[in-house]
Amino acid sequence: MSDKIVAKNLTFYYGSTPAIKNISLSVRANAVLALIGPSGCGKSTFLRCINRMNDIIPGIRVEGDILIDGESIYDPRYNVTALRRRVGMVFQKSNPFPKSIFENIAYGLRINGVRDRYEIESIVERSLKSTALWDEVKDRLEESALGLSGGQQQRLCIARTIAVQPEVILMDEPASALDPISTQKIEELIQDLKKNYTIIIVTHNMQQAARVSDETAFFYIGDLIEMNPTEKIFTRPDVEMTENYITGKFG
Amino acid sequence: MTTHLELELEHIKSKLFEMADCAIESISKSVRALKDSDADLAGQVLREDAILDNLEIEVDNECIRVLVTRQPAAVHLRLVLAIIKINTDLERIGDLATNIANEAINLHGRQPLKPLIDIPRMAEIGIAMLRDVFTAITEQDAERARAVISRDREIDTLNMQIYRELFTYMAENAHNITQALGLIMVSKALERIGDHVTNIAERAIYYIEGIDIRHTEE
Repeated sequence: MSDKIVAKNLTFYYGSTPAIKNISLSVRANAVLALIGPSGCGKSTFLRCINRMNDIIPGIRVEGDILIDGESIYDPRYNVTALRRRVGMVFQKSNPFPKSIFENIAYGLRINGVRDRYEIESIVERSLKSTALWDEVKDRLEESALGLSGGQQQRLCIARTIAVQPEVILMDEPASALDPISTQKIEELIQDLKKNYTIIIVTHNMQQAARVSDETAFFYIGDLIEMNPTEKIFTRPDVEMTENYITGKFG
Repeated sequence: MTTHLELELEHIKSKLFEMADCAIESISKSVRALKDSDADLAGQVLREDAILDNLEIEVDNECIRVLVTRQPAAVHLRLVLAIIKINTDLERIGDLATNIANEAINLHGRQPLKPLIDIPRMAEIGIAMLRDVFTAITEQDAERARAVISRDREIDTLNMQIYRELFTYMAENAHNITQALGLIMVSKALERIGDHVTNIAERAIYYIEGIDIRHTEE
């Protein structure tokens, strides 16, 4: 399987302080990579570098590069809008638009130039089906998305993300505010989605990382300490610091 | 920093060590009962096997509880997995000691074929291996565990030697057959004990180094 995303010596500064230092890693297409590490270790910063979400913060600086399908996304000629269409993102707190369930998904399609009503309807249905939400909402598509439960809202946000057919999905603690059943649904969804997408997920829940990911990367104070197949990380990590973190001996 | 999980694991480990002590006692008593033709001592081994059986269930239950409630990872996970398997080996060693004790009862009162030398020697090696493998676990010393595995050959060699010798006795006089067969069973039980200790050493290496060395030799 080819590498979908390659980070090359990526260093990211907020002002003069590097938040991540010299990170090099690659993510295979259709794999799930989990980023773990204590708060402030740089995992979310790294995640946001992949769709250049950090660009909107003043005073930032990037060294090194990230390649998607071999193409540099930090090349000045690179189209950032196109990048964000290719690389979708799901946040910790679900953030549906204050519109109907249908419009939440249709909106992204319309601003991407899809005009045909029939096509929009079919993509909305397909997206809601692939996030296992269709049966729960098909009779109230015109109702406000804000009337959905937290878990349903989060799945709606994932449906909204995949409606525009990205290649990569970034998830920043997507289930940390959800109850166990909703969390399980999101985790199962991740397993289903990886058939078609490459997924990178930041999580503080190590069992979640173990359950959903193929590979796990451990970050600590801006450094990538270890990246290995998830099974190896959780049974026999190579680096003592990783071992200390996952066995709760940090501090 | 010792975590709650580590305290719980220490507690389970101490139960496992208690099982190892029981297993060593059982081997030692059963072979002494055979050597001294002491049916009472053999009976004691049979009764005491229940202690090992109960501990086996206790250790298993505690391991399941830790897996469910603590979701251990890395070295902690390897320790729990190793303990679950070592637990079974120790219980089997207890059963094999009762096989020896049963032979001691069967052979009780008969004129011995010969003074027993090699069988007690096998038991001594088996016991020394068991002690060593638990020291290896305590000290997280994989080399010591590997040395235990290599000692199993000594037991196998003695076992073959005993077989050959007892076949000669049986060939010489058919009246020797019952006793010789009994001793062959004992020798076989001790040889199997050596195999179980080897298993324990393999699991100890998995716990310490995270590598699985089963079925890698010869």
